[in-house]
Amino acid sequence: MKRLNDLEYLKLNKFRAVLYKLQLFLCAIPRFFKNVFLKLIALIVGCGKSIGASFLDIGRTFTRGNWAVKLSFLIFGFGNFYYGQVLRGILFLLFEVVFFVYMALPNGGIHWLAKGQWFQNGATIGTEQGRQDFHPVYDTPYWIEGDDSVKVLLYGLLTIIFIIAFVYTWRLQIKQCRICMDITAKGKKVRSGKDDLKSLLDDQFHKTLLALPATGILAFTVLPIIYMVLIAFTSYDGKHDGYSNLFGWMGFENFNLLLDFGNGGIGLAFGEILAWTLMWAFFATFTNYFLGMFVAIMINKKGIKFKKFWRTVLVMTIAIPQFVSLLYVSRLFDSTGVIGKILCDFLPQSMIDANQQSLWQNPITARILVIIINIWVGIPYIMLMATGILMNIPQDLYESAKIDGARGWQQYSKITLPYMMFVMGPYLLTSFVGNLNNFNVIYLLTQNNQLLNTSLGAPGGVSVTYTDLLITWLYKITLQSTDSPYYLASIIGILVFVVVAILSLIVYNVIPSTRNEEDYK
Amino acid sequence: MATVKLTNVKKVYGKDTVAVDNFNLDIADKEFIVFVGPSGCGKSTTLRMIAGLEDISGGTIEIDGVVVNDLQPRDRNIAMVFQNYALYPHLTVFENMAFSLRLKKAPQEEVYEKVVKAAEILGITEYLTRKPRALSGGQRQRVAIGRAMVRDSKVFLMDEPLSNLDAKLRNQMRAEIILLRQKIDTTFIYVTHDQTEAMTLGDRIVIMKDGFIQQVGTPTEVFDMPDNLFVAEFIGAPKMNTFKTNLVYEGGKYYVTPYGAKIEVTGSKAEALRAKGIGSREIILGVRPEHFVLVSGKSSNSIPCAIRVNEMMGSELHLHVEEANGDRLVVRIPTIALDDEQRKSMGYGATIHVTFEGKVMHFFDPETERNILA
Amino acid sequence: MKKNNTNKLQKRGLGAKASRRIGNAVIYVVLALITVIWLFPFFGIVLESFRVEETGQVSYLWPKEFGFDNYIRLFKETDFMRWFLNTGLMGVCTAVLQTVFVLSMSYVLSRLRFKGRKLMMNLMLILGMFPGFLTMLLIYKVFYDFGLTEQMAPLGLIIVYCASSGMGYYVSKGFFDTIPKSLDEAARVDGATRFQVFYKLILPLSKPIVIYTVLMGFMAPWGDFMLANYLIHENSAGMSVAVGTFEWLSKTMLNTNYTMFCAAGVIVAIPVTVVFLCLQKYYVEGVTGGAVKG
Repeated sequence: MKRLNDLEYLKLNKFRAVLYKLQLFLCAIPRFFKNVFLKLIALIVGCGKSIGASFLDIGRTFTRGNWAVKLSFLIFGFGNFYYGQVLRGILFLLFEVVFFVYMALPNGGIHWLAKGQWFQNGATIGTEQGRQDFHPVYDTPYWIEGDDSVKVLLYGLLTIIFIIAFVYTWRLQIKQCRICMDITAKGKKVRSGKDDLKSLLDDQFHKTLLALPATGILAFTVLPIIYMVLIAFTSYDGKHDGYSNLFGWMGFENFNLLLDFGNGGIGLAFGEILAWTLMWAFFATFTNYFLGMFVAIMINKKGIKFKKFWRTVLVMTIAIPQFVSLLYVSRLFDSTGVIGKILCDFLPQSMIDANQQSLWQNPITARILVIIINIWVGIPYIMLMATGILMNIPQDLYESAKIDGARGWQQYSKITLPYMMFVMGPYLLTSFVGNLNNFNVIYLLTQNNQLLNTSLGAPGGVSVTYTDLLITWLYKITLQSTDSPYYLASIIGILVFVVVAILSLIVYNVIPSTRNEEDYK
Repeated sequence: MATVKLTNVKKVYGKDTVAVDNFNLDIADKEFIVFVGPSGCGKSTTLRMIAGLEDISGGTIEIDGVVVNDLQPRDRNIAMVFQNYALYPHLTVFENMAFSLRLKKAPQEEVYEKVVKAAEILGITEYLTRKPRALSGGQRQRVAIGRAMVRDSKVFLMDEPLSNLDAKLRNQMRAEIILLRQKIDTTFIYVTHDQTEAMTLGDRIVIMKDGFIQQVGTPTEVFDMPDNLFVAEFIGAPKMNTFKTNLVYEGGKYYVTPYGAKIEVTGSKAEALRAKGIGSREIILGVRPEHFVLVSGKSSNSIPCAIRVNEMMGSELHLHVEEANGDRLVVRIPTIALDDEQRKSMGYGATIHVTFEGKVMHFFDPETERNILA
Repeated sequence: MKKNNTNKLQKRGLGAKASRRIGNAVIYVVLALITVIWLFPFFGIVLESFRVEETGQVSYLWPKEFGFDNYIRLFKETDFMRWFLNTGLMGVCTAVLQTVFVLSMSYVLSRLRFKGRKLMMNLMLILGMFPGFLTMLLIYKVFYDFGLTEQMAPLGLIIVYCASSGMGYYVSKGFFDTIPKSLDEAARVDGATRFQVFYKLILPLSKPIVIYTVLMGFMAPWGDFMLANYLIHENSAGMSVAVGTFEWLSKTMLNTNYTMFCAAGVIVAIPVTVVFLCLQKYYVEGVTGGAVKG
């Protein structure tokens, strides 16, 4: 399409200007994906280049280095010892010794790696199946221990990470040798162990501070997520739990489940649940956003008294643990509950089928209910945030608007609203993603209420209700399913990630305020 | 107490954004040096490299003969005053000033003595127990200077310390810094974008542009003999008038021919031209506004122009005038030289005739913009 | 002519005042309505917790007979006390550890520049897009082997809540970002190490966000159901209040335990709400200051 320059654009009337913007937006989408693709390629090329440079550097270090440096290609930290960095040398050497001992032990790394039979489709993870046997003399049953696939996979994964760490450390200590070499060549002194320790509180302070949190994230998020992704390629489920029955590698076969659009099929269920999840996230986010902002504007309007009281009333909802308030509210709306009874009496019969006594049992009212109750939960947060923003709007904007002739409501529509929309743009994205995975609200509201099951059959071995999100479905699959297909849970998890990632990428690249927040400051 | 030496100092941000390049400077002991230039010229970056707040991409910085490139700021024995004061909001004025001593675990008597002494010099003794937010801009500035004073440091760095103050206070603080300098008696490096501050404070001035040094010299040197067009226009207010014209060598005499006038070059300038053996050529001529004189009528060495803006400054008039070609000039005339009649006649559109003396002009090469006499 | 004009202006002025009054009245009505809606469940739960005549759910609000029966049953017949202590312990530990983790992470990302900082932030962003629940697949297995599930679940849960909490650095980083960088620089010129800058300068200046983080950490175990239920695995000794009382509302137990649930809800809500309302100011500062900048 033809791009207009600024002056041409300004000539358009309002309607055509909007149309033009829309066109621009649509045109930008393919370009956006192209950019992402190009960036990915650039990333890969960049990685390749830096690896190449790394090899070059290693080679150069070897040819230039003296015997000590050359020796440290085999013995970690030797170069450090040679140049007087005893502390670093000891640490490197220790790492190497631990690595080789671990790898070589009969129950060590090589053992676990071999047992894993990595990515051989059809092969089991772990080679010895445990089995039941009877004692030859007393004839009592006992269990002959075999491998546990869960452990084999975990230790295998840890070993691989250890190997990567080993290679990285090898490279690191060679680099340090080169740096020591350069420094000594210049006639300066290399850093001593004491310097190293001191710098941990100063220019290397980030390492000290990050040590704990980063380890935590590595161990409790990164490792489990990699593990989980691997599970998607195995046959891990309730029957093949790895201990009584080994599970094995399935390759991409599990993903074929997603193509099953028949009744009870995963593909169909996933599609329908995803549709509702997106719908839910959309409504949950935007109802909260607009109503919360509206409430904040009302409370903060000039001339309204008891501002603190109104605010505190709402903030109470945040304070009280969600399981208390949500579980109670969910009962309130049940057929026997105080509000539910009244509503059932007043609402037309067509909305509550004759034989379904509860609002929770009608797919439409149930869905509306969770959205409405979520408004009750969410408004206070937005209200607080919007209050903060309202207070930050410079008063002179209003004064100048008044002089320019803006009436009360015009001040809101022309100044307050645009300002808030702009500043809270990034929050909308986080909130949307949060709602996609809003387990608490859905699960606590609906789990005890015998909701009507969908006609989707039992995808993944669990019955799905009309309000289930992907995350609650996932939860049910792992905890309540008849045969707990963990691999399926893992696949759904990966898909949730894909959905969230694509949405975030698009929003981040399309909504300007997620990038430049400076316009209003 | 200390010399500072910068050799080929370079600063590169990211991959190829050069902020400072090829910076060479020797600062003598107890010298007051001022870095001046428009914003983004690299003056603050250079100062921050001396302080150790920015890494040095190339070259070396020495303080008292010791290379400090790899030293932490706290090991360089420097004190620094920041543009926005950077007072610690949670500490009282006393504790703000004592902060560095507390870090050194100095005994209370020493802390008290030093802080109170600095406070007395700066006249902020009565505010010692207040928090910074209860102080006015000028007082905060004094605390910031006081905090730097108690350090007994070798080099005193100041990064635009006056630019957050209003004009009147700025003049007052400028005078106080000059006084302070007598009392502290150490090496000062002062960064500013204001040429007046630079001229009044500095023993020597370093004029920078786009990361490069344009000229280093005493205030008189840079004013009288600017190395290039940029320095000429940057130093002095209102700025120097420049116009493309010709230098004519005729019968042993030099003339310039701006706008049809023909003015002889005299005095030291003529001698310098002769000594360099320069012939007729194209030049950019620079004349400071204060060097113009009014003449009563048209003559062969006067330029007729129409008045566009008349700024009455009190002791002098700043006339923005337009020459027949449409070029704008600024002329500065002492009020005392004009009688009432003349003053009244200088409204919008009135024509005046100006000329200038032969010994005060500057010549620049149109290509390189360098002073052809330098 | 002039007089006429001023008359007109006066008229409009009066009109504006009147319409503002009407507007305000409408707002008061709406706010009053909101107050009723928002407080209704809380009054409801308190009232029902004192109901004696019926332990199941009824469709009227005002009890016919008031009494402490539900509270007495709660402490005598159930493990509620234990659950309450479990959750309280988790709350305190999580508050302390999580604050250390989150503040370290956000200080580093806000203030220190080092190689790989951007990469780290991007990685954490990407990791945050995975449903966190899935990590429990592995964590449960490992914790089971270490004996950190079932009755020891509170300990396991503390680890789970804290270990990855560094990923939630956004709010406090937003706050740290607002502290001028020149303060750090001044302190470093004054002779402070990075550690001293953090400890003598940034921490004292960050009181609101420290309290906010502590508060968030303390509240987490009270509200969490998903992770807790997974690790506790129906072992009463290790339950948190959320997991313990959840069952009371299931179809099978509803008739006997409904009012007791209300009583439990009241007891849980009181300490948390009191703490929260006392520190409300800091919470608001945290939400409004940090969250928007995100």
